[in-house]
Amino acid sequence: MSTAPSTRKRMPSALTFELHAKCSTTKARASTLTLPHGAVPLPIFMPVATQASLKGLTPDQLKQTGCMLCLNNTYHLGLKPGQAVLDEVGGAHKLQGWDRNILTDSGGFQMVSLLKLAKVTEEGVRFLSPHDGTPMLLTPEHSISLQNSIGSDIIMQLDDVIATTSPDHARIEEATERSVRWLDRCIDAHKYPERQNLFCIIQGGLDLELRRKCCEEMVARDTPGIAIGGLSGGEAKEQFCQVVDTCTGLLPEEKPRYVMGVGYPEDLIVATALGADMFDCVWPTRTARFGNAVTAAGSLNLRQASFADDFGPIEEGCTCASCRPREQGGLGITRAYIHHVTAKETVGAHLLTIHNVHYLLTLMGSARQAILEDRFPAFLRKFFNDLYGGDSSKFPTWAVGALRGVGVDLLSS
Amino acid sequence: MGLENPSASSLTTEMCQFTILKGAAPVLAPRLGRLVLAGRKPISTPHFVPLTSRGTVAHLSHDVMRDQTSIASLYCGLEDFIEKDGPAVYKVPCTAQESPLRKFICMPDEITLVLGPRRAPPVPCPVPSTNNSVSILTSVGFRQLPASEWVDAVQKLRPDIVVGMADLATGTAAPGVKRRGKMVDRTHAYTRDATERLQRESSSPTATTTTTTTYFAPVLPLENTEQTIYLADLESELRPAIAGLALYESASLGVLPPALGDLPRLVFSEPATPHEVLRDISLGADLLTLPFVGALSDAGIALDFVFPSPSSSSASPSTSSTSLPLARDLWSDTYTTDVSPLSESCNCYTCRNHHRAYLHHLLAAKEMLAWTLLQIHNHAVVDAFFAAVRASIERETFESDIHSFARMYEPDFPDKTGQGPRYFSFHSSSSSSSSSFDISDYAGTKSSPQAQTRRNATQKRTVV
Ligand SMILES: [Zn+2]
Ligand SMILES: [Zn+2]
Repeated sequence: MSTAPSTRKRMPSALTFELHAKCSTTKARASTLTLPHGAVPLPIFMPVATQASLKGLTPDQLKQTGCMLCLNNTYHLGLKPGQAVLDEVGGAHKLQGWDRNILTDSGGFQMVSLLKLAKVTEEGVRFLSPHDGTPMLLTPEHSISLQNSIGSDIIMQLDDVIATTSPDHARIEEATERSVRWLDRCIDAHKYPERQNLFCIIQGGLDLELRRKCCEEMVARDTPGIAIGGLSGGEAKEQFCQVVDTCTGLLPEEKPRYVMGVGYPEDLIVATALGADMFDCVWPTRTARFGNAVTAAGSLNLRQASFADDFGPIEEGCTCASCRPREQGGLGITRAYIHHVTAKETVGAHLLTIHNVHYLLTLMGSARQAILEDRFPAFLRKFFNDLYGGDSSKFPTWAVGALRGVGVDLLSS
Repeated sequence: MGLENPSASSLTTEMCQFTILKGAAPVLAPRLGRLVLAGRKPISTPHFVPLTSRGTVAHLSHDVMRDQTSIASLYCGLEDFIEKDGPAVYKVPCTAQESPLRKFICMPDEITLVLGPRRAPPVPCPVPSTNNSVSILTSVGFRQLPASEWVDAVQKLRPDIVVGMADLATGTAAPGVKRRGKMVDRTHAYTRDATERLQRESSSPTATTTTTTTYFAPVLPLENTEQTIYLADLESELRPAIAGLALYESASLGVLPPALGDLPRLVFSEPATPHEVLRDISLGADLLTLPFVGALSDAGIALDFVFPSPSSSSASPSTSSTSLPLARDLWSDTYTTDVSPLSESCNCYTCRNHHRAYLHHLLAAKEMLAWTLLQIHNHAVVDAFFAAVRASIERETFESDIHSFARMYEPDFPDKTGQGPRYFSFHSSSSSSSSSFDISDYAGTKSSPQAQTRRNATQKRTVV
């Protein structure tokens, strides 16, 4: 597909990956990823602070949820505040006053999904400036240069993203091969491999053979970490699971695996069972704006009238700052109060964002603990039971099928 | 100034003690005081009472308020809580000692809660008040709040301080003679009935709870001569039932009879600048509400003043020909890469951890955190301002310090240039725009998050 691996320069790494335990039944792993701004327990959920701020939370509030690694979006930061400002201020950590880790995407996905007129060529992604409509080009080199200016601890290669649901197989193949060629350009363009970790992104749509080929090519490039991309694009969940399962089966054990853009709790948990380590999604924070609380029993819309007089915490037993009773140093926020301010005061969104981010971080922390203690299958059963009120007939078939594939039958008691 | 004798006067009711620590005269003079309410953090006066919207200081979640501000009191408007039949605020399970209002808005015990019928500043209502009700605006529209319902609410919600109902004729042109007479008669009647009921029902043997509410009687924004009978009644018959006064314009500080001078004065004069705040304090204001603080935060403007003047390091007295701005508009492109704190002399959370460049970015990116960080900073600047004012009164240099401040700083805040988060809240949160509020505006923002998302989506992005 591209340059022979032997001619490529050896890639330094700015991370250490310590694998602590593997589930004896499923493919789940518990590990610690140490990045330039601190240690991150895996598996992990990473909240998305698109424009260098997480939906109104201060960096200290975000820290209090337990977050060690959050996302910024390169496309957005490239527009505002822009590369020149990032260079002058000294990067995204200094811009937002965040001394823990940051991961950035390449900007390509955002561009293709947000700008209708984006067009991909071998050179890069051509698009019209959202500012003044002038034609612009995002190349792998430019994406890496932007991410070098941002200074994120993990940076992503520019990949040729197309919808997994695209019927054009030739185009999918082209995109996969181009992503490998672009990875080489990204590796060459990367100025600070000793302090920023470049992750490759496995492409190949839903074609498992293409995914295998891509894994092989990319693993040979020896990036510090590996992402599985091109999912969360509306494909069937069964196919999503097949792709993750196939890729993790081919990836080296000693590197972190990041499944991009995946974020409903059950997706995270199933993908963890399939051997993935890192996840990001805007859903838990975006949904907070609309009054939705993410809980073990599912998502609750606190704007519903039934919550107007509900003086219990957002989630019983939750240890987030919002839910914890005042006697335990928390705020003692009630569902009734969230109902009262949701969609009317920004504070409603802030209080729910604290809870939702904390919920997902804690969920992944519990999964990790279960893996460490080798009781992850029991954790899976409890998770699905809690989520569907003990009614196994409601368990999604894709999840049941995927977990059966790794040795856990949710339906047998 | 000739201030002397600590505890020149001390007013004590069961629940509320206001001690005047320093003051030259009972009225029309600056004074230092201490307001102690049972179970609450004592408040040194002069001070300001931060304003809430639906029980929260706009953009400050409860942990941020607790950890990053020194806010010790809050003003709430009942109209923010009663849009439904059988409002939830009345249903909070509480012990006899607890305040359902406090529990509903999830505020800690040490915060002093002040409750009035309306938000501050109130949105003008198209329909006037009646003999037994005032017009209010809830999140579902305008309606009348009967005086009896208001007293019921006070008894149920048990705020620390209640601001009595008044017929204030908001929004209408200057009321005519006839209207002014009605305002006085109605307010007099509301006050008489409310205090009588609160007294009677708290002392009745069947009362399940003791009234813990401290009643601040309204003084109308009218001439002394127009409310003589009412004021005389406050001085005499109503005097045992009231613990403070609520004033609606600076001039009212001049109509108070000296006999009411020992009562704490909460002033809703909507001062536009710190200069006007100083004027009110010099006329004897004890507690003030300051709509400009939140309005400026929403506009992306960071306060930048120190009373009476910034430390000599930053501004040399020789440059007195040019006065300093009272605030900086962080929307301005001059801050794009400025990594200095919002104000050089501020030590708030925002200034310790963030810089102008980040605030400029957050505003341009329409990120909610901009308003949170500005609220923290602006409240901190005002808090430091009041502490300095109290020190100045204590030192007896207040009069000359006011002059220094007036020479040092520009008379007005910079003009607003950026867009605030107005579409998020159905109530206009800035005093300046309240006059332009209309019901169609409200209807358009009812589903505000979606509306905001739509708006953001259609807003033209600007590349820096
Ligand atoms: Zn919680
Ligand atoms: Zn500050």
